[in-house]
Amino acid sequence: MIRINDENMWSSNLISIIEEFQDCFDSMERYELLFDYAKNHPSPLPIEDWNEGNKITGCQSRAHVSCNVDDEGNFILMGGADAQIVQGLMAITAIAVNGMTPMSVTKMTPKYAEEMGIHSSLTPSRANGFLNMFRRVQEEAKKLMK
Amino acid sequence: MALDLKQIRSEFPILQRKLPNGKQLVYFDNAATSQKPRCVISAMSNYYEQYNSNAHRANHTLADEATTALETARENIANFFGTSPNQLIYTSGATEAINLVAFSWARENLRRDDIVVLTEMEHHADIVPWQQLSKEIGIEVRYVPINTETFKLDMEAFSIAIQDSSLVCVVHTSNVLGVRNPIEKIIKLSHSAGAKVLLDCAQSAPHEKINFDGLGADFIAVSAHKMAGPTGIGCLLVKKEIMIQMTPFMTGGSMIKTVTTEGSTFQDGHALFETGTPRIAEAIGWGAAVEWLNQFEMKEIHSHIHKISSWTSIEMKKIPGIIIYGDPERSDSSGAISFLHESIQSLDLALLLDEGGFAVRTGHHCAQPLMDALSIPSTNRASFWIYNTMEEAKLFIKHLKYIVERFA
Repeated sequence: MIRINDENMWSSNLISIIEEFQDCFDSMERYELLFDYAKNHPSPLPIEDWNEGNKITGCQSRAHVSCNVDDEGNFILMGGADAQIVQGLMAITAIAVNGMTPMSVTKMTPKYAEEMGIHSSLTPSRANGFLNMFRRVQEEAKKLMK
Repeated sequence: MALDLKQIRSEFPILQRKLPNGKQLVYFDNAATSQKPRCVISAMSNYYEQYNSNAHRANHTLADEATTALETARENIANFFGTSPNQLIYTSGATEAINLVAFSWARENLRRDDIVVLTEMEHHADIVPWQQLSKEIGIEVRYVPINTETFKLDMEAFSIAIQDSSLVCVVHTSNVLGVRNPIEKIIKLSHSAGAKVLLDCAQSAPHEKINFDGLGADFIAVSAHKMAGPTGIGCLLVKKEIMIQMTPFMTGGSMIKTVTTEGSTFQDGHALFETGTPRIAEAIGWGAAVEWLNQFEMKEIHSHIHKISSWTSIEMKKIPGIIIYGDPERSDSSGAISFLHESIQSLDLALLLDEGGFAVRTGHHCAQPLMDALSIPSTNRASFWIYNTMEEAKLFIKHLKYIVERFA
């Protein structure tokens, strides 16, 4: 069972990542770190499984997510994107939500990107997909609660 | 005479702003929309503050002032485009202008199997209306390919495609490639083949003098917001003899002469296509923009943009991994530079540029058939206008080099 902060439903893993980003010297260093997350956590969803059904709409890059629960009912997010910034955020989101219950995932807030200082990912009109991806993950979590 | 950039920039309040991260804005997304000088903003707010009223309706002073301002703007804009105000139909922009041709002229005058010729470099605004009309009445839509090495239209294929066609719709200057098409030749060849010509001048109007009567095109579509005017207004310029072949696709107030319970009679000329309350503030703002532009020679503006864009293009090519689509160094290019980096995805590149304060466009630029022809999903695009400077271009190159060194 992973430890969860009650206020935002953020796991201890996610809080460590936020702190790692907050230690960065400037925004470009934060992006560099995000690229590292993308590189070190490539899409667990094979490109051949990227389809219209798991596509995240409203994103200028190609981004796909697939959500499931394991035998113990723990949430599993698998996602991939061709843009490194989206892939990095997706990797961090997966680290954050994997192992949670679907209900906890639905209660989580997406403000961690803001806390990490990735300002360009925050508004839906940016069309870079982070918020669309996050909402999609929560919708999938809601379905998995049933 | 060189442009007084210090003076010009001082007239655009937005250019002074800093982004939330503290970076100074460098606006290189002019092909999407231009910034507005203070005189345009003031003209619009002055209308709302001093004489806001509906045009063409009442007899009171405010209504008279609003009507006069609306029609004076029409005269000034028509004059800017080398034609009479009677030939200018206000629309919401180039998109509505093209749709107006499709609904009001083509639907009435074309029949099943009539041919409409488009090019692969059209904006979606000049593709989708024709695809829809094809579904409705069965017109045939032909596409002229581009040469993917020179980025020019394949004029040999063009000459073949226009045979037996009824309408040729061509973008004057590509929003993606910056390529200016040989429109004089296109108009001549199309008319010889018996086809009418519609030019999409959304990108060219901010860069060169468009003379409607002189060019001889049958229709020209323009958007105000790319040439210092406000959003929400543009026009369709139509030849007199063609306008009488058009029927209104929107009916209601303003476009009628009389309405009884038995039926209605309609206005003539542009009024027939301007149904409902006009875009008064927007037209006044566009009129002010045109007046502002009239103090310059369009050639001066183009030469200034070309100097920046060709230098930027040359410097970009020196950066490892940068690929440019189009030929921004050509003297007749609009100066839009579409580019990709071989290992940094376009969205990542745009966000990293934004982090440095540089506003560039990313995506398919509403030209997916062109992206397909180039076998790419998207590009980044830097586009320049009258207020941009070489200093900004130098900062852009410096930041782009930094991104490539750090993230490629």
